[in-house]
Amino acid sequence: MIESALISEPLAATQEGPRGGDLESPAQPLLLCARQELVLALRSRWTQIFGVTFAALSLAVASSGYILSGGTGFQDYSRTTASLVQLVLLVVPLAAVVMGSLALSPERGASELLYSQPVARPTLLLGQLLGLFVALAAAQLLGFGAAGVVIFTRAGDEGLGSFLLLVGGSWLLTALFLGVAAALAAGTTESSRTRVLALALVIWFLSVIVYDLAALGLASMLRSGVASRLLIVAVLVNPVDAVRTAVMLGSEGTTAFGAASLAFLRFTHGSLGAGLWLAGSLAFWLAAPIGVALMRIRRCDL
Amino acid sequence: MTAEAGMLSLLIWAASGGAAPAVPSDGVPASGQLEGRPVGEAVSELQARVDAAAPGATVEVPAGLYRGDLVLDRPVTLVGRGRPLLLGSGEGSVVRVRAAGVTVQGFDIDGRAGGDLGRDPSGVHVAAHGVTVRDVRIRGSLFGIYLREADDSVVEGCEVVGIPGRDPGEKGSGIHVWNTHRFRLERNVVTEARDGFYIQSSDHGLVRGNEARNLRYGLHYMFSDDNVFEDNLFENCDAGTALMYSKRLVFHHNRFLHNRGFASVGLLLKACDELVAEANVIVDNARGIFLEGSYRNIFRDNLIADSDIAVVLYDSCGDNQLVGNTFIANLSPLSLVGKRTDTRFEGNYWSDNLEPDLDGDGRSDRPYRLSSVFDHFRGNLTAADLMALSPAATALAAAEQAFPVLDPVAVVDPSPLARPPASWRASAAAGPGRVDGAGMAGSLGAVALGCLAFWAGRRPW
Repeated sequence: MIESALISEPLAATQEGPRGGDLESPAQPLLLCARQELVLALRSRWTQIFGVTFAALSLAVASSGYILSGGTGFQDYSRTTASLVQLVLLVVPLAAVVMGSLALSPERGASELLYSQPVARPTLLLGQLLGLFVALAAAQLLGFGAAGVVIFTRAGDEGLGSFLLLVGGSWLLTALFLGVAAALAAGTTESSRTRVLALALVIWFLSVIVYDLAALGLASMLRSGVASRLLIVAVLVNPVDAVRTAVMLGSEGTTAFGAASLAFLRFTHGSLGAGLWLAGSLAFWLAAPIGVALMRIRRCDL
Repeated sequence: MTAEAGMLSLLIWAASGGAAPAVPSDGVPASGQLEGRPVGEAVSELQARVDAAAPGATVEVPAGLYRGDLVLDRPVTLVGRGRPLLLGSGEGSVVRVRAAGVTVQGFDIDGRAGGDLGRDPSGVHVAAHGVTVRDVRIRGSLFGIYLREADDSVVEGCEVVGIPGRDPGEKGSGIHVWNTHRFRLERNVVTEARDGFYIQSSDHGLVRGNEARNLRYGLHYMFSDDNVFEDNLFENCDAGTALMYSKRLVFHHNRFLHNRGFASVGLLLKACDELVAEANVIVDNARGIFLEGSYRNIFRDNLIADSDIAVVLYDSCGDNQLVGNTFIANLSPLSLVGKRTDTRFEGNYWSDNLEPDLDGDGRSDRPYRLSSVFDHFRGNLTAADLMALSPAATALAAAEQAFPVLDPVAVVDPSPLARPPASWRASAAAGPGRVDGAGMAGSLGAVALGCLAFWAGRRPW
């Protein structure tokens, strides 16, 4: 009840607004949808729980880096980043894909009301994605800020840049997995909500855990030259690995993976090549699921 | 290889008749023979003044530029006032010391990147006992300072910049010590040479408070026993220090940092026995310590941190001990080359050891295994490290710990320290604990922004 009231509120405002505004500026309905989804997401207990949990975990990781090193300071930056990267890789895609599929699966009443508005379906979907993204990004800020307070009380000079890189990587993962959620949820009916959620979890598990294990397992059965190339390509192809590699290489240089970094850079013909490969892979994984989602929602029969 | 070149010159010298090296008068010695007096154009403008000085006299040289090469064949003290520059002929050593008890002090020397590498052209070439070289700055020489059969000689406060960009095989060491006993090298700085400090067949020397960076080996001992080195800094080298075929070396409080090349090592031992390493800092190297064919060595209270591999150990080693060291944030603690090792790891601190210390005796309650499931991959496959810090790897490690299926060579630390030794905690407290203002402000801003977003979401829009 509350939700439908909320929904009608901003959209009603559009209709009462200056006539023709919609036609002149196509961005406006998009932003309105985004704002509405943002408010919904920020009021959702799930987002709040995610924000607080992520903050607590980040704080724990940042402090434990300090405690584990016994206050020697040597673990401070680089290995703390590595642990934070692991946390981000686990938690952020999970939150994005789950909350995305929950928010984007149609609900009885709400979705009917929404789709009856004079707004194109793709605009609605993109607006929702934008709103969700901003809400999740804001929730992550809590965690990164908390970890940052611990880290920057004793970090050296190079810390800030790589920390920003990590935040950027985390936001990118959020966008990627919201896209995946959209591809799963777009154009489905309410009855398939559970199936969408289950699929989302499976995709998360496959891309974050199983994929790397499979790649390693396969590589261990091949000759070392082929296996090396397989692993490097595997890292480039999976967006989760691509984000991890980009953040680690960007913040620690070739120290990040030891000799493997050099093998990686040789494969991509230098760091510029590596950047292009990674950016290309990530751009594809950002665009493709959203493209699929847009296509599905255009075609579906509500 | 320096070693081979050194051995070669030794052989040539032995073949040429042994005993005292001949000093030819034409100034163009055969390879391996001592350079004698320069001739013609190459003679230094200062030569006449030195030749006129009485033994024991002090020759003061005012500031200015002096061309040519100089021989000191009587015990004089040559002192530069206002840093005179000696610009060599480019054909051999700029200052050639051939008399015991000479002191050379306060000069800038430029070797003009000249001379034949086989004849050891140096900024200062010493072939006499008890010589002191102090506060001399050398650039553009194939060798910086060369001590050849110069027992009891001292090199202190000197700076050698080699020839940047030239291949290590085509230039010499910063400070080269050959067949010189009881030498002392203190507070020197060497960059861009082949090896920073190269010491061959020289016993009972002391190397203290020096720095070497951006070269092949920072410090390199060959066939030199009973030496001591302490408080030195070696960084950005292929190997911070390479110890080869030497016995009973003692070294402590040295720093081996940022030796990060593809095959770089902080501290390398090859066929070295009975050395003692204490309180050294070996941080941010591709490999921390590399041990091959070495016996009965003791590593105590050292810090090995931020390496790809902390210790590389060949099974050609025996009876070595690593006790009470601190290992922090290394990608892998040990790479064992071969099937077995009797090296004893005991009472070290390992930052990735998560075993608790429930009985509070300062030791973890269970032994620490120096091998992870990832070493299994890493051994065959370098690129495996690309996945080494992923959630999948963590999951794999946890699974392997719960259900061990691999049976790696069992190397354990039976009583690992639960926390790092107090010495490192104390030294780090004074270290990098600095607040980053921008980062702190950004972090607080981020928290504020996040809170603001949630707070704004609660209000009716």
